[in-house]
Amino acid sequence: MEEEENTETIRPEFPTGRVKKIMKLDKDINKVNSEALFLVSCSAELFIRFLAEKSAEVAKGKKRRIMKLEHIRIAVQSHRPTNDFLLDSLPLPAQPSDHPITDQSHSRPAAEKPVPAGTRRIDDFFNKSANKSPSQIDNEES
Amino acid sequence: MVDNMGASASNEDNYMINEQERLLPIANVGRIMKQILPPNAKISKEAKETMQECVSEFISFVTCEASEKCRKERRKTVNGDDVCWALETLGFDDYAGPIKRFLHRYRELEVDRANQENGRNIRPKDLE
Repeated sequence: MEEEENTETIRPEFPTGRVKKIMKLDKDINKVNSEALFLVSCSAELFIRFLAEKSAEVAKGKKRRIMKLEHIRIAVQSHRPTNDFLLDSLPLPAQPSDHPITDQSHSRPAAEKPVPAGTRRIDDFFNKSANKSPSQIDNEES
Repeated sequence: MVDNMGASASNEDNYMINEQERLLPIANVGRIMKQILPPNAKISKEAKETMQECVSEFISFVTCEASEKCRKERRKTVNGDDVCWALETLGFDDYAGPIKRFLHRYRELEVDRANQENGRNIRPKDLE
């Protein structure tokens, strides 16, 4: 994990306006000063690096060159603090697509099909408790 | 919530706009991930999207904890020390070292900037 940024001018990778918007989604948050915004931005970057590194190790262990959701899930589970706040937020494992899956025996989500512009699979995770039909849940593979 | 199949165009547009506000840009997220991975590795779109969600959760989580500390101490503004504290409290002590360095450096730069604007010659170490 990269620990030293160029200390001449430290520029977080993310647009600070967007970071601030995300922080302010919680109505209980009052004011945030600029150094706090800066640090949250930096730590968000560290978090991605950390989680990506762990996920890459998982993928490598499974001899995969393509990082998938499942690798991230396992990485999340392996780090207790991350697991505590994040696990419930991840999409459920391997929800099959609308097409019947005939010979899947592994948890390979049908995630590689290209999604049309404007459609995100990730919205499944918002709907996961509301929209998942019982038949889909029955098809869930571990 | 939005059903993509049956949603009207405006519903979907609104949903997408909300997502833009709620998530960090996927290009930035993907770029950082790529820096970590070996050169021949690839990242599925779903993994990038998942990471977007994860990092937004992380931001909310840390901010909430820092904000809670402020509330208990009857302060209105979350500052850098609160963020450091929140990271350590939540178990991200691995980040504490680098983040404190960032904070220190940020404060130094702020002082330099203020000095330039004010034409004074206070040096950062005078504030320690």
